[in-house]
Amino acid sequence: MYELFVTFRSVTYGQKGRDVLTQNGIRCRLQRAPREIAPGGCAYALALSERDGNLARAILDRAGVRSAGSWLRRSDGSFVRLEP
Amino acid sequence: MIYLDNAATTLRKPIQVSEAVWEALRSCANPGRGGHAAAARAEETVYRTRKRAAEVFGLEPEQVCFTANATEGLNIALRTLLKPGDRVVLSGLEHNAVTRTLTGLGAELVPITAPLFDAERWQEAFSDALTADTALCVSLHASNVFGAVLPVRQIGALCAERGIPFVVDASQSAGLLPVRPDEWKAAFVAMPGHKGLMGPQGTGLLLCRQQPAPLRFGGTGSSSMDQNMPAELPDRLEAGTLNVPGIAGLGAALAWLRQQNLDELLRRERMLLTAATRGLQGMGVQTWTGQNQIGVLSFRLNHLDNEEAAARYAKAGIALRAGLHCAPLAHRTGRTLPDGTIRLSLSVLSEQKEVDGFLAVTKRMLK
Repeated sequence: MYELFVTFRSVTYGQKGRDVLTQNGIRCRLQRAPREIAPGGCAYALALSERDGNLARAILDRAGVRSAGSWLRRSDGSFVRLEP
Repeated sequence: MIYLDNAATTLRKPIQVSEAVWEALRSCANPGRGGHAAAARAEETVYRTRKRAAEVFGLEPEQVCFTANATEGLNIALRTLLKPGDRVVLSGLEHNAVTRTLTGLGAELVPITAPLFDAERWQEAFSDALTADTALCVSLHASNVFGAVLPVRQIGALCAERGIPFVVDASQSAGLLPVRPDEWKAAFVAMPGHKGLMGPQGTGLLLCRQQPAPLRFGGTGSSSMDQNMPAELPDRLEAGTLNVPGIAGLGAALAWLRQQNLDELLRRERMLLTAATRGLQGMGVQTWTGQNQIGVLSFRLNHLDNEEAAARYAKAGIALRAGLHCAPLAHRTGRTLPDGTIRLSLSVLSEQKEVDGFLAVTKRMLK
């Protein structure tokens, strides 16, 4: 179940982030970001399990892959933004 | 046909290149413009090439921007760094891609001259010219007219010491000589994809170590509500639909190049250059040659107009290029104006039998 979304303004950063996470054993899927978490319009998101969230964000940070934000999907489908 | 015009574009490519172009035409939609499978395939195709290029040139993927050719990359670089009246120090071997752009931007051009194949003298000449009021330094890595290789690492070090941004045109060297933007301390390095990198025409790379100003404005498939171009690379420079088939072909070419032994390819090309040079000199033909030369050789048949000679070669099935090679400044430096030269240019796929065929035809023409 993918519940955490890390968003990127550029698909290239999303792809780079996916590669970094995959190399570190974290499963994720690159997709177009849902409108609610792409306030600027047209963004990409790495969707991953919530339990991998903190580690994934730390790995991306360490690798210098700049994200636009991180979002948790609630059970009703809405999103809440996580603190950086 | 004996094809010896590889400095214009390499004609013989690895078979994987055309296969990748075809596969992309057949299966790739528009990257960054949808979440469906065909768009995702296009995104992955583009990213694969970007990542390969980043690995080859020692950069991060986002620092690799796709352009239509080296000229577009140079336009972006020079427009980013200059304003009218700025003093620009450049090698006296630059192509019109640089000199026309600088002229169009209203820059003050300060061309540097030195003996064509003497890297040390080039370095000294740059050192003398890079004064405190210099806004920018531009140098090619290897000349498209004479094949002379310039000491870009040393020029870059001089620029860094003096706080002057440095732009390199690697059009003739990429794919053959190591291209290292970080080691050269270059703000930007531009190159075509269709020459030594063995990709299709209509492809080019701009390697960015500094934030560029966009040349094209428009859709990027990202941050669409914002009416300014995105700050992030590569989106900032890649407005509009990308040349996905071309980029796919370039990716295949880069993969092929990585499987080759570059030192061996260079050694082979130098051997063919030496054979062509000695063959011509043995017939009393005037050549421009020296140390630090890639497989580009200028020569003249004294009794024949250059264009007429090239036409005779063409009739005999040999492709060469005569004239000024879009580089009148280089011909001024080489003292080959106004007629220019005939240029023979090799690729890593050139063969001894092509050089032999060329020399045999030359011998007949001289009789």
